[in-house]
Amino acid sequence: MEVPSDIRDLCRNPAALLNRYKDSGVNLIGFTCSYVPEELIISAGLQPYRISNTGANVSALTPSFVCPFASAVLENMLRLEDFFSGFVVAHTCDPMWRLYDILKKKTSKPLFLLRVPHNTDNELSLDFFKTELVRFKEFLSQDFEINIDDNVLCKSIELCNENRSLLKSIYMLNNGGKYRICALDRFHLALASMWMPKPEVNAQIKALDFHDCKSDNNVRLHLNGTSVYDLDLMKIIEESGGFAASDDLCTGSRYFWNNVEKSNDPISALAHRYLKRAPCPSHGPIEDRLEYVNFMTREFKVQGVITFAERFCDPILYDSVHIRNMLAKNGIRSMLIDYENPTQEIGRIKTRVEAFIESIGG
Amino acid sequence: MSSQRERSRVLQTTRKIGELIMEYFSKAWDAKAQGKPLAWITVFTPVELLRALDIYPIAPEHFGAMCSARGLALDYLEEAEKTGYSQNLCSYSRCGLGYALSGMSGLMPPPDILITFRNSCDVYVKWWQSLHMHLGAPLFVGEAPYVLTLEDLDNYVLDYVVKQLEQLVKIAEEKFGLRFEMERLVEIVKLSDKASELWLETLKFRRFKPCPLGGRDSASDIFPLVVMQGTDQAIRFYEELLAEVKEKANKREGIIEDEKFRLLFDGIWLWYAFDLIKYFEDRGAVFVYEPYSEAWAYRLDASKPLESVARKVLAMGLNVDIDLRIERFLESIKEYQIDGAVLFSNRSCKSWSAPQLVTADILSKKFNIPYLLFEADMADPRQYAEAQIKNRIDAFLEVLGER
Repeated sequence: MEVPSDIRDLCRNPAALLNRYKDSGVNLIGFTCSYVPEELIISAGLQPYRISNTGANVSALTPSFVCPFASAVLENMLRLEDFFSGFVVAHTCDPMWRLYDILKKKTSKPLFLLRVPHNTDNELSLDFFKTELVRFKEFLSQDFEINIDDNVLCKSIELCNENRSLLKSIYMLNNGGKYRICALDRFHLALASMWMPKPEVNAQIKALDFHDCKSDNNVRLHLNGTSVYDLDLMKIIEESGGFAASDDLCTGSRYFWNNVEKSNDPISALAHRYLKRAPCPSHGPIEDRLEYVNFMTREFKVQGVITFAERFCDPILYDSVHIRNMLAKNGIRSMLIDYENPTQEIGRIKTRVEAFIESIGG
Repeated sequence: MSSQRERSRVLQTTRKIGELIMEYFSKAWDAKAQGKPLAWITVFTPVELLRALDIYPIAPEHFGAMCSARGLALDYLEEAEKTGYSQNLCSYSRCGLGYALSGMSGLMPPPDILITFRNSCDVYVKWWQSLHMHLGAPLFVGEAPYVLTLEDLDNYVLDYVVKQLEQLVKIAEEKFGLRFEMERLVEIVKLSDKASELWLETLKFRRFKPCPLGGRDSASDIFPLVVMQGTDQAIRFYEELLAEVKEKANKREGIIEDEKFRLLFDGIWLWYAFDLIKYFEDRGAVFVYEPYSEAWAYRLDASKPLESVARKVLAMGLNVDIDLRIERFLESIKEYQIDGAVLFSNRSCKSWSAPQLVTADILSKKFNIPYLLFEADMADPRQYAEAQIKNRIDAFLEVLGER
C-alpha cells in the first residue's frame, strides 16, 4: 500500500494547493479547528480549507507566552489571506478566541466566530449551539449570496460522513492486531481530507489497499494532544521502534470518529454531532476525555502514551496531570513532550521518544 | 521628591480593606461551622444568586492575589508544580491548586461545591475541573458566550445564561436542600446595584486634576465588588470611600502632590510588586483609569432580577467584543485626560494579553498616546525582572516628559 505522492506532497506544503483553487476560481473558506462543520461550508458551494501552522513562524502580533500553534495559525491566515474569501474561527480555547479579536482588526475578509459551548452534556448547550449554527448558515448565505437548501445540506453531510467512515475504517484495521496501518499514512489521509475537495480525497482513499500492511512487534503507542501537522513527529516514532496505534488528536481520530445521524432536521443533527463528538480538551466534562483516552488505549492494546503539548497550551497542560494519573493506575506508562516548534526541536524530541520506547521494551 | 516618598499614597478607607478581606475569609469558616454550603467560585460568577441561596462564595483568585501580595504564594505554586502543573499555567490557578493539594487548613475552608462560569477565560474551566478531580467536590460549569454585539444582551444568548442560572438554582436546591426565593434575590440585586453605583461614582472623581484616587486604591478597593455584592458591608465601605474621595476632590487634593502624567493601566496588578505603583508616583505619574476597575461594576435592574444578573455575567470582564472594548478605551482617554498607557503583558492571563499589541497600536495611532508594554506575571514573583522593568518605565516617562 502506498499513499499517493500528491497527498504526501500536499501534507509537506499545504499552501501549494491554494494556487490550484485560485486558478480554478474556487471560493475558499479558511477554518481553524474540527468544531467547524465543513458540511455547511460545502453546502454553500464553498470549499473548506483548514488553516494549519505549517510554513509559518509565530505571529509578531501575539506575546511570546501565547500558544505558538495558535499564533502560527494567525500568521498563516494573514500571510495567505488573498487566497481566501472568508474565515471561520471556533471559540475553543483562549488563544483561538483571542485570535478572532486580532483577526477582526487585521483582516478585510468576512470573519465569523462560532461560539462552541463548553458544556456538551446538556440540552441547554445543544439548543444554544443549534442557534449558533443557524447564525453561521445565515453568515454564509448573506456574505456569499447563496441560499443553503436543506437537501443540499443533507447531501454535504453524506459526503462528509463518507469521508469520516473511510478514515475510521482504515484506523480500525489497527485494533485487531492483524494489520499495521502506520500513523504517517493515516495522518496523510486525515490531513488531506481537511484540504482537498471531499469527492476527490474520498476517491483516492477508496482506491487504496491496506491489507498488505501486516502487524509487527513495535511498541504500540497512543498519541495524546491537540493538533499535529508536523508529520516528522510520526516519523521519529516509527524510526525509534514505536507504532502509533491510536490517538486522540484534533488532526487525528477526533476529526472523523463520529458521523452525523441522518435526519430531516440537518442543523439539529449537525449540532448534536459536533457537540457530542469525541471530546477536545477544551470541551465537555473531563471524565469524558479521560474515558476517551482510556477507551483508545484498551481498544488498540496500547503499551505507552505520548502527550504532544504545544508549550503554553493550557487545556492540554491541565489535562495531562489527570491523564497521567489515570494511566499510571492502569499500569500504562506515559510521557509529556512540550515544544514550541517541533521542526526546530526534532533532535531533542527524538532522543526523548527513543528513551521512552526503550524503557517500555522496544 | 523626598517629601513625596514620605507621604502616604493610599486613602484612609483603602487601609481598611485588608481587615475586611481577612474578616470575609474568617466568616467563611463560621459559615462552614454553621453548616452553610460553601462555594469556591471564579470571579465572574453570579454572586448575587449564590447569596440569595445562602451559599457562601469565596474566590481562590483573591486568595492567590493575597498570598502573592503577602509573599506567601511560593509554597503553593511549588506544591502545584510538584504535582505536574506547568509553570506556564496561570499562577492564580497554581496557587489555588497548591492550596487544595496541601490540606486546605489556611484561609479558605474546603468547598462543598465548585462553581465557575466560562466568562473572559477558558482556564477557569480547566482549573475547576482539576480541583474537582483532586477534591471530589461537585462541579457546576456555566458559560457566558462572548458578547459579539449589544443585541446579545437581549437575544438567545441572554436566554441561554438565564436558563443556566435557573439550572444552578435547581441543583443547589436539590443538593443542599436550600430554598430559592425571588424576593430575597430582589433585595440582594438592589444592594449589589447600589455598591456598583457608589463605586462608579467614586471612579468619576478620578477625572479631577489632581486625581484623588490612585492605582494602589483602585487595585485594592475592588475586592468588595467582586465577592461581597449584595451585602450591607460592601455598601458601607463604598459610601465611606466615596465620601473620602469627594472631600479630597473638593479640596483639589491629589493622591500625589505634583501630578505630571495621567496614565491608563491595562491588566491585572502585579500583587507582589505594589511598590511599582509608588515608583510611578515618585516620578509624578498617577494611574487614573484601568479597565480592571470597571470589570465588576454593573448596574442591575431589580424589576428583572434574574435577567439582570444574567446580563451582568455576560458583560463582565473581557467578555465583550474587541470593538466594544476599544470603544471604551478611547472614551476613557478623553474622559480621564490620559497622557500615556501602561499595558501589562501578563504571562498568567493569555486571554487578556493576547490582543494587547493590537489594542495598543490603535490607541497610539488614533490618539497619539505613547504606551509602555512590559511582561511579567501577576502572582508569581519568579517571572519579574524588576530592574529591567524600571529602566523601561524611566524611558517611558522621559518620552512623556518631552511631549
